[in-house]
Amino acid sequence: MSVLVTGSNGFLGSVLVERLIAQGTKGIRCFVREGSNRSRLDRLRERHPEAEIEYYFGTLNSAGDPVGAVEGVSRIYHLAAALDGAPADMFLNTVVATKNLLEAVATHNPSVEMVHVSSFSVYGVADLPAGHILTEETPLEKHPEKRDPYAFVKWYQEKIVMEYQKRLDFPLVVLRPGVIYGPNGGGISGRVGLQLGGLFLHLGGSNRIPLSYVENCADAIITCAEQHGCGVAIYNVHDDDLPTSRAYLRSYKKKVKRLRSVPVPYPLLQLISRGVEWYHHYSRGQLPAIFTPYKSANLWKGNLFDNSKLKSTGWRQRIPTEEGMERTFSFLADADAERGT
Amino acid sequence: MTGEKLKVAVVGCGQIADGHISEIQKLDNAEVTALCDREPLMAEQAAVRHGVPGHYRLFEELLEKERPDVVHITTPPQSHLPLAIQAIDAGCHVYVEKPLTPRYEETERLIAHAEKKNRKLTIGHIYYFDPPALALRDLYASGAIGEAVHVESFYGYNLAGPFGKAILGDGKHWVHQLPGKLFHNNIDHLLNKVLEFVDDERPMVVAHGEVRRTTRFGDIRDTMPDELRILIQGESTSAYATFSSHVKPAAHFLRLYGTKNIAHADFVARTLVLEQEPSLPSALGRLLPAFGMARQYRREGWRNVRRFLRSDFHFFSGMNTLISRFYDSILDDAPLPIPYRDILRIGWVMEEIFRQLDGLGEHS
Repeated sequence: MSVLVTGSNGFLGSVLVERLIAQGTKGIRCFVREGSNRSRLDRLRERHPEAEIEYYFGTLNSAGDPVGAVEGVSRIYHLAAALDGAPADMFLNTVVATKNLLEAVATHNPSVEMVHVSSFSVYGVADLPAGHILTEETPLEKHPEKRDPYAFVKWYQEKIVMEYQKRLDFPLVVLRPGVIYGPNGGGISGRVGLQLGGLFLHLGGSNRIPLSYVENCADAIITCAEQHGCGVAIYNVHDDDLPTSRAYLRSYKKKVKRLRSVPVPYPLLQLISRGVEWYHHYSRGQLPAIFTPYKSANLWKGNLFDNSKLKSTGWRQRIPTEEGMERTFSFLADADAERGT
Repeated sequence: MTGEKLKVAVVGCGQIADGHISEIQKLDNAEVTALCDREPLMAEQAAVRHGVPGHYRLFEELLEKERPDVVHITTPPQSHLPLAIQAIDAGCHVYVEKPLTPRYEETERLIAHAEKKNRKLTIGHIYYFDPPALALRDLYASGAIGEAVHVESFYGYNLAGPFGKAILGDGKHWVHQLPGKLFHNNIDHLLNKVLEFVDDERPMVVAHGEVRRTTRFGDIRDTMPDELRILIQGESTSAYATFSSHVKPAAHFLRLYGTKNIAHADFVARTLVLEQEPSLPSALGRLLPAFGMARQYRREGWRNVRRFLRSDFHFFSGMNTLISRFYDSILDDAPLPIPYRDILRIGWVMEEIFRQLDGLGEHS
């Protein structure tokens, strides 16, 4: 079986490619932009000279580019998404890019198995009570325009994927990971808190953080894809032993670097959010509305998580959270030391 | 049209369209009624985020159904001319993002068409209306600077920023197809401030461009020039303009050297200070200017604080002023915020620069 991986030289994508090699997948076509940093994939190729890894150069933003990439593959792992940038650019690089990919599927490979990596951010939990157990049945966001640009584009991206599935009826697995972390990934998740100048606002308190160690996440993607037959299957992806935000931050401070942090209890955060939102409107956007009551409720009100549907596929957490955090923090500490801060 | 609210449409829903929509929505005399993009999802996302009622894929459909008074054209420059002509023919006034058109001949044609059809047209020279530019204009008019002898304009560009990343991330990006490539999309901001003081119709222009980045892509992106120096000599005023993608921080300033004093307008810090002739002799004359400058910067800092407290310190302040004056010119039949003569002179100087750089940036 040959597969196409979009977003293949990203943080999760490169690990997924490595797990596909380990699992014995033959013919891995990696969709990469011309001139993009392919060092992770190049290193993989060096480590696994026997692996059949092919680079397919193009950009998903360009309608015609994905056509050749989708031809002849039996499965597509669609991971490509913009993590930052201006909202319109993020939309273009995520949603329009996905539409272009699916148009190519429609015309050149309509029965391909599609594996779409979505996000927890598509759920709308702002109006649900604190402690709500987030499962695949949790309602989707009703007001994506009220969320941050990343949540907005991931919501739209999944919507587009679902619309094309309905039209073309290809087998579809949608995975919604929580916080993917690991070496080469980002720093502290926004679910824990935000850096504001020299101060870290600890917003997560005693909330559980839905961590998904990058290798465990890649395992989950492959396991769910392998299990799937036809129709649509949706899985939330996170590990078993989830730390609280407080425990995560404590460990980060101990193992990566000292942080001047201030805990912001949720009621106070809501008060601040109201103030920020009011000022944003009052000043006609002089400062961005980084906090609003709606955004804050979605991220920091506090949910519980359940990965039993994922486990029903046979997936098991291979890297324990303690070890995953150890590896991640060790990487971040080294990176920090290298920067000389 | 006094008392009425202008119906505004925006065509092209990329990054800069967000700025236009937000700034128009702050005005009391206009409302954004429809958006258009040939990629319908782009039009839809902007409409959803900004709460705009209509969104279209086809421009002609928008013009027919919405009948806007004003159209803002925020598409890639290659499409500006046909879209602007289409909008003017439909009876709309047009605000066109810079650069107005890729070629000078097209700029002439567009302005002539707007005049013929009695519709108003302006271009997105937003920094021309930023607070430091407005303050400098007032200061110059007051005579405090004297006659302009020389102007120095600096525009720093961050290639690691969102738009820079988009350009370098895609060898097919429309910027690479412009005659002046990266410069073409930016040096309006460099030149409009200069040509305000160099009033000649056809000044002497000498340009030098180069690539400072290391080769990385193996395509057209590697040869895209990113450093530009321009010398402009008018009959009574000279100018030197710098576009740099490598100087950090990405400064943005204008220095006006007059027969009385030198003014320094900083568009990043939003300050305007005057370097004056020392009033005291000898060592005292060298000792005191630093304190004088400190006093001026403190005054400017507090002025900015007061603006901030009045909610008058927005990122797109210049764009807001420009749009507002353009709409006033439509509603009250007042003069245009940017005279056509200036748009044409800037277009001519740009064409001359790119003619001199011709061949630079070609990928073999």
